[in-house]
Amino acid sequence: MIRYWTKRFSNDILTENIELEDELKEIQKEIKSHINKKFAGSLAIRMVDSGSCNACEAECNALSNPYYDLERFGIYFVASPRHADVMLLSGLMTFNMQPHVLDAYEQLPNPKWVISMGDCPLMKAPFEKTYAITAPAKQHLPIAHHINGCPPTPLEIIKGILEFLRKFASNS
Amino acid sequence: MRFIARYLKDKKDYFELVTVYEDEIQKEKISKEKPFVKTISYKYPSAIWFERKMQDDFGIKIIDGFDTRELLHHERFPHSIHPMLKDFTKKEINHSEFKPYKYETIDGDSVFQVSVGPIHAGIIEPGHFHFSQAGERMLHLEVRHFYKHRAIEKMLEGKTLDEAKPIIKRISGNETIAYQIALIDIYLQAMGEELPIKLQKQHAFLLELERVIHHLTDVGFIPNDAGFGSALAFASKLAEDARRMMQKITNHRFGFGSIGFESLDFDLDEIKFFLDTLQKEIEFFEDWIIDIPSLWDRFDTTGRLDIKKAIKYSCVGVVARASGASVDRRMNPFYIDNGFEMASQISGDVGARFKVRIKEIKNSLLMMRNFLNNKSVKIDSKPLKDGEYISYVESSLGEIFMAIDVKDGLIERFFVRDPSFINWQALHIMMREDIIADFPLINKSCDLSYAGCDL
Repeated sequence: MIRYWTKRFSNDILTENIELEDELKEIQKEIKSHINKKFAGSLAIRMVDSGSCNACEAECNALSNPYYDLERFGIYFVASPRHADVMLLSGLMTFNMQPHVLDAYEQLPNPKWVISMGDCPLMKAPFEKTYAITAPAKQHLPIAHHINGCPPTPLEIIKGILEFLRKFASNS
Repeated sequence: MRFIARYLKDKKDYFELVTVYEDEIQKEKISKEKPFVKTISYKYPSAIWFERKMQDDFGIKIIDGFDTRELLHHERFPHSIHPMLKDFTKKEINHSEFKPYKYETIDGDSVFQVSVGPIHAGIIEPGHFHFSQAGERMLHLEVRHFYKHRAIEKMLEGKTLDEAKPIIKRISGNETIAYQIALIDIYLQAMGEELPIKLQKQHAFLLELERVIHHLTDVGFIPNDAGFGSALAFASKLAEDARRMMQKITNHRFGFGSIGFESLDFDLDEIKFFLDTLQKEIEFFEDWIIDIPSLWDRFDTTGRLDIKKAIKYSCVGVVARASGASVDRRMNPFYIDNGFEMASQISGDVGARFKVRIKEIKNSLLMMRNFLNNKSVKIDSKPLKDGEYISYVESSLGEIFMAIDVKDGLIERFFVRDPSFINWQALHIMMREDIIADFPLINKSCDLSYAGCDL
C-alpha cells in the first residue's frame, strides 16, 4: 500500500474543469433560497435506464472518476428513488420497462423532477418505432430538462445538471 | 460440438429452424400447420432461452422443453401476439391484463425469496434476479431479463444494410466496435470483397482499444464491489485516458460510426506514448493489487464455474476462459501473427476472471502496437449480392454471432446473439457455494451486457 500512496501523491490532483465549481457557487448564490428549501443543500439523483445501449450509463459512471469527480459539487447518485430529488432518465422507454419507470417515479418524494439524457428519450436516436418502444418519454412523464448527446459526455452531463439548476434562478 | 445459437425464420409458407454449432449449421423445415420444435436443451441447457424466445416471437410450441414459460413477453404483454411473424406490422400495442410470472423457486421450511430489480441500486441496466435463500446462503437464482427489449430484429427487417448500420452500432454501447466489425464483415461477403490488411489492422486496433477500456473499467469495479475503492479510483482514471484516446482517433468516446471502408487518422507518436504509459500503469496496478490479501480472500473460490459446467452451458468470452475452456474467436493466424496469446485460468472464480482481464489488457496493448499504422486505405462500395451471411467477432465480452439474410438488397432476417445471452444462463450455477452478499461481486466479475442480451 505504501507504493500506492507514494504514487498517489506524485500524481497529485487530476480533477479537471475547476472553473465549473465557481460557476456552481454563482448559481448557488442565485438560488440559495431554493436550494435550502427544495434540495436541503445538495442534489440527489436517481439514474433510471429505460432501455438504452448502456453508453449513457457508462458515461454516468465516468462522472465519479478522478477527472470529473461529480460529488465535489454536492451532486450525488443515490441508490433508491425514495432518496432522490431528480430522476435522470435514459433509454427508449421500452414496453416492458415503462410500468417500472412509472413505479420508480411514483416513489420519488415531492417536489421532484425528471431530467432526460441522450437522444433515446426524445426518440431522436436512429432507432425506429416498434411495438416494443414507447418513447418519447414526455408522453409518460413530465420532463423538466433534457441533456443532449448520443451519449452526452461526462462534461456535458455536469453542465446539463448545472443548467437545470440555473432554471430555478431565472424562475425566481 | 459447441452450441452457438438457435433461431427461426418466417419463410411465408413454412418456418426454417436454424441451429448453429461451432462446426456446422443445421437447417430444418417446420410446417406452419404443425409448428412444433423439439428441444435440444437437455444436451445444451443454454438452448432453452433461444427456444423460449422463438415461442414468444413466432408462436411455435417447444416439445419436451424443461421450461416453456414466456421469456420476452412480460406480465402485461398481450400474450396472443407473436411479433416476429411477417404479417405482424403494428407499431403500437397496449398493455393487457396482468398475468403473474411463475418464478423458479425452491420451497421449504424457512426458505425465503429475495427479489432484486429490475431497477438496481447502482448506475446499471435493468434486469431482475430472484433468489431462493436459506439464511445468507443462495439456494437458487433465477435471472430474468428482457426489460430492455427494443425489438431490434424486427426493426431492421426491410431495411438496407446502410440504413441498419446506425442502429446496429447502438445495440450495445460497450461492444459497438465489435458489432460494427461484424456488420462490415457481412458487407464484404455480400460485395465479394476482402479488406486490405492495413485497414483490417486498424479495425483490430480499435477492437482491442474497446476491450482495454471495458476491462479497465471492470478491474476497477470488481475490487470496488469487494469494498476496495482505491482500485476503482486508479483504474477508472486509466479507463478515462483510454476512452479519450478513442475520442481522439474516432471522434467519439465510444467509437460510434468509426468502422467503415475508409481508414481513420492515427497519430502514431501520440498513440505509442499512450500505449507505453498505460503499459507501465497496468503493470504497477497488477503488482499492487495482487498483494492485497483481504481482497483475494474475497476473490478466491467465490462464484466458481468449473470447466465441465462452462462447456455444458456453451459459455463464451472471459467467463469461459477463466474456467479453462479455450473459446476465443481471435484464435486465428491474423491475430496470432500479431502477438495474440489466449489468457486462461482454471479456477473459474472471481479471482480467475479478474486475472484473465488483466492478462488480456496486457496482451491487447502488445497487439495494438503491432496493429498500429496510419496508412490511408479506402475501398469503394459495390452492389450487394443477395444471400445468407454470417459473421463472428470476439468482443470484450465474448463471441458475437451475427446472421443477416439479404433479399433484393433488403434485410429479410436479422439475427444476432450477444455473448451475454449465453453467459447469463450460466450465472445461477456460479452461486452454489456463496452467500447473497457475494452476488454483486460475482455478477460484476462476469460483467455481462443487458442491452445486447435483450436486443
